[in-house]
Amino acid sequence: MSVLPFPSFLDDVKEKGFKRAALEGVNEIVERATAGMNVQDIREALRGEAASRKPNPRLQPHADGFWLHMRPSYFHKSVTGLYPEFRLGWLSTYFVFFLTITGIFLMVWYTPSPDVAYANMINIMSNVPFGQFMRDLHRLGAEAMVIIVFLHMLRTFFTGSYKKPRQFTWFTGVILLICTMFLSFSGYLLPWDQLALWAVTIGASMVEATPPEVVGTNVNLLLRGGPDIGANGLLRFYLLHVLAVPAILFIFTGVHYYKVIIHGHSLPPGEENIGEDTAKRVPLDKRVYFIPDILTSEIMWISVTTLILVILVTWFFHAPLEAHADSQVTPLGTTAPWYFLWIQGALKLGDKVLWGIVFPTVVIIFLMVMPYLDVTKSRRFADRRAAFSVAFVLLSLLVYLSYMGLPEFGVSTSADSEILHHMLMEPAHNHMGVLRPIPFDQLVPGVYTTRQFHTDDYDGDIGTALASFQDGIPPEQNDAILFFLQNTNHLPINALNFTAVPADAPELLEGLRRLDEELEANHAELPNAWGAIIITEPQNNLKRVDVLLVWDDVQIENGEPVLDENGEPVFILDENGQRQIRYNGQYMFINRNSQYFAAPGA
Amino acid sequence: MATIAASQTKATIEQNAEPKVVVAAPSRREFLYYVWGASIVMLLGQASVVLIWFSLPRFKEGTFGGIFNFPVDKIPANNAAPFNEPAGRFWVTQYDESVAVMFGVCTHLGCLPKWVDQNNRLECPCHGSKYASSGRWLDGPAPRSLDRFPIVITFTDGSTATTSADGGSILLNGRTIASMRIDTGRRIKMPGLGLPEPTAG
Repeated sequence: MSVLPFPSFLDDVKEKGFKRAALEGVNEIVERATAGMNVQDIREALRGEAASRKPNPRLQPHADGFWLHMRPSYFHKSVTGLYPEFRLGWLSTYFVFFLTITGIFLMVWYTPSPDVAYANMINIMSNVPFGQFMRDLHRLGAEAMVIIVFLHMLRTFFTGSYKKPRQFTWFTGVILLICTMFLSFSGYLLPWDQLALWAVTIGASMVEATPPEVVGTNVNLLLRGGPDIGANGLLRFYLLHVLAVPAILFIFTGVHYYKVIIHGHSLPPGEENIGEDTAKRVPLDKRVYFIPDILTSEIMWISVTTLILVILVTWFFHAPLEAHADSQVTPLGTTAPWYFLWIQGALKLGDKVLWGIVFPTVVIIFLMVMPYLDVTKSRRFADRRAAFSVAFVLLSLLVYLSYMGLPEFGVSTSADSEILHHMLMEPAHNHMGVLRPIPFDQLVPGVYTTRQFHTDDYDGDIGTALASFQDGIPPEQNDAILFFLQNTNHLPINALNFTAVPADAPELLEGLRRLDEELEANHAELPNAWGAIIITEPQNNLKRVDVLLVWDDVQIENGEPVLDENGEPVFILDENGQRQIRYNGQYMFINRNSQYFAAPGA
Repeated sequence: MATIAASQTKATIEQNAEPKVVVAAPSRREFLYYVWGASIVMLLGQASVVLIWFSLPRFKEGTFGGIFNFPVDKIPANNAAPFNEPAGRFWVTQYDESVAVMFGVCTHLGCLPKWVDQNNRLECPCHGSKYASSGRWLDGPAPRSLDRFPIVITFTDGSTATTSADGGSILLNGRTIASMRIDTGRRIKMPGLGLPEPTAG
């Protein structure tokens, strides 16, 4: 007779006592939740013992459970070590989920609108608890995923695992590589900073070059949502970033992994006869069961990866944020993200249709069809020297093109512009102008010059050196420089009264020294140069820092100084045979409350 | 007799030949499935076109660009540094006694070149294209010289000059400019690395 009108837990308690009934209840819940393993089975697995009952309960979750039905119940022993897989495929999968989760967190505080996107970034970085942490993880995770996915592809190539019957697995892998890179790239636009605007402008302009013109023009309009990147473009890239491309990525991750399971993990090349594929026929003594060995190993790998990421973002890496997007100024040294530097390098070679459209398309198509072209049977290293040679040549090309993508290659500008840029540049790629991180209190108003380091003629007496230097500037030069400062740069200053940098401003002194060193290093283009740092305080808690460069005018041809037979620059003289001066200057404003800090590790 | 023998031989040959796969003409049901499938494919095609049409931005007339009445005193001296007007994304330049207005966007991939006085040229910070003060291509991957906007110049003697269809600069011929109008709504693409001939307008 049941306690209640229907069979219930109370009947068990009545029959077996509470403790035993409760334990059996827990056991049953565990067995249902794991789709087949009770507490005893789990403990046996964790202790490393063989299963004590039959049928083997460790296979049940694969047969009956949703999550593990996607995973094989055992692996070949030869693929479970570090070699040949290096766990790169598993880590790539992990990053998909890692980035989805951190991305969803960031979406909570983000609106894809040019009006507020940048302010959202500032808010996430400075006001949201763990906001910067989450953003750093998302950004670093994205870059790590590009590396991991690329290494995964290299590994697959070198072990020949793309060969029959796994050609299509490789094909879907190339699609995943493209998705990864596009996701990483489209994420660049969302903070709406300078890097975002110009990187995506370049990207969209490349698409615009697609022939025929009607296609390029319209695809460009579809991407940008207007003639320029604006509110529509930001929204479109946001939707691509959080919906469209992830959807494609998830679908093809499924296809890719399904194919991996169908064909089995390919064994190390040396373990099979040439032309054979025995991955699916795993002898009993070679089986390593998913539960518990593979499962714990995989969890260990992603835990260590997460730990490394957390350590990096805590002490060594912060996702950079540049100045607010400005459609009227392209910053000097605009570069693509590092994994697209090879395209930026190629674009410098010439025709944008050839290098911006045809070249990347050929690369992608080559990767996709490569396993169908290379139909040689052997996966052994010794038989594939030709393929390896081609791969190494292509990798070298990739590295060299990436080097060509750097601003140093083909985009260097005049020495004075470079120096001003080094001194004052807004943060970009974890770098910023030398003078920006100087503490606000060390920016003591005054006029300082690099000549304070050239005191040899005055027995090291800075005061005499500066006074003598000031007296030595011809009045008409002095007037010209002042006119430039007042009218071009709108600096309300009536005289250049040089003083030595105060003793309590060591970082300002260091900045001035860097300026002097850079002038020295460019003495061929900027001979007899001196620099000045002029600090004023136009409002309370707001300081203005001007950098002024003055040098003797020399002949320049194609951006390089003309040198005579002695390697000396050729001066431009006025009608009296006197050297003429040239000058250039830039400035920045620094507020006490918006101080810059050197990036960790920079 | 002969005909019977011949027909028997023919039958033997047909029997000995490899078995043919007999494909019947489509039945009505099969045919209707094809028609149905084709219409689904066409519907999906139409849906794609609709999606593209839906997503293409639409422009009202005059959304892009406008008329600038450019202050004459800001026109640079002959062969001096060109004058930048960021709000209109253009540079006003005077070279070889002629005036032109250049679209400030690099013809390569859409970055904004800067005037570098020391090197006496416009330099693009993205891929290193270089242009003279006239907008003429000097170096780098840009496919053509800087594009131009048409201008209308009124001189103090009452005569006017208009940019020619090919975008050539307007020769001053000693005349003094009284006013200049720039139409940034119409962009004239340069023919290539060179520049069109200046005209008197």
